[in-house]
Amino acid sequence: MKKFQPWITLLFRLILGGVLVAAGWLKVFNTYESKASVRAYDLLPVGAANLLGTVLPSLEIGLGLLIILGIWSRMMALIGTGLMIIFVIAISQAWIRGLPINCGCFGNGGLTADGKVNHWTYFSEILRDLGLIVCGIYIYRNPVGKLALDK
Amino acid sequence: MASNKPEDKGLRNTVIGTVLFIVVALVGVSLYTNSSKNATLPGGTSKSDGYGITFNSKATPQIDIWEDFQCPICKTFEGINNSYVNDLATSGKAKVVYHPMAFIGAESVTAANAAACSNEEGKFIQFHKALYENQSPTENSGKWTSDAMISLGKSVGIKTKSFETCVKDAKFGDWIKKIGNDASSKNVNATPTVFINGKEIDRQTQYMNADAFKAAVEAARTK
Repeated sequence: MKKFQPWITLLFRLILGGVLVAAGWLKVFNTYESKASVRAYDLLPVGAANLLGTVLPSLEIGLGLLIILGIWSRMMALIGTGLMIIFVIAISQAWIRGLPINCGCFGNGGLTADGKVNHWTYFSEILRDLGLIVCGIYIYRNPVGKLALDK
Repeated sequence: MASNKPEDKGLRNTVIGTVLFIVVALVGVSLYTNSSKNATLPGGTSKSDGYGITFNSKATPQIDIWEDFQCPICKTFEGINNSYVNDLATSGKAKVVYHPMAFIGAESVTAANAAACSNEEGKFIQFHKALYENQSPTENSGKWTSDAMISLGKSVGIKTKSFETCVKDAKFGDWIKKIGNDASSKNVNATPTVFINGKEIDRQTQYMNADAFKAAVEAARTK
């Protein structure tokens, strides 16, 4: 198992980093939508939500790139895991409150147009983020991986 | 493993610098694409009405509609309520403010700009209707080009050169950003969104039922 660890670390870096880059890239050129997604979670005042919606896609891309390239592996894995935990909390509270929202994780955010709460979507989104949290924790505990710029 | 050769450090630092640069550049692009300082505004629009295309500015009640011409649910909403809303707008029985948004992307911008151009020609209501009838089943399909907007304009009787130029030059492109920024500040998180006298109506019951929608408007009238 030890033998495979650096490859598993690489694989998990590609998954966690890849998802972050993809999520950021799909939103970064349409921040009206990403702002609407953050507002729809109804956790932050409108002004703060709009600010977060503007910068979050860019930050996701930067974080994802650093994770893929294996720079500051432990620190970045920690930040990535923390971000996913925040997402899980945000999605869970919206689900519990019955907010009719689209995740907006990969764009297409905001409220669902028909005002319906989609339980399956909520469930699968939380499951996906939990999977990414597992990746993040693994990288944090086994930071030395293949093809990393950290030495 | 522990190689600390200078060239390794150099490569790593270059990569870190590049990633930081990318992040800063993308934040810059995000801020820039939302900037609308020098926008040309369509006639009759004002900051107080969120820059929307306004009919009967002195009438009550006030109906604000945020929509995206590419959004299928907006088309459904239009199909259910448009004859009533158009009647209010043309007869002066309510103040109707249209806020065309570009949530869905490039072809929404093309359509919203063309809609503002049609307003300059006094044909907004007709063009608005024609856009929804012409909506593609898939988003950003390549259907809504400038030429498509011009021929759609012709179909509702807009034949002027000024309309063509307005469409081709995306004259009101930055105005669409103003609409978007105003909607962001008003917590409008979906299209369609309808406010009556400044308050959103109930998404589950009052949007997609013609009688309920009409009742909501008329109830606001009596107050």
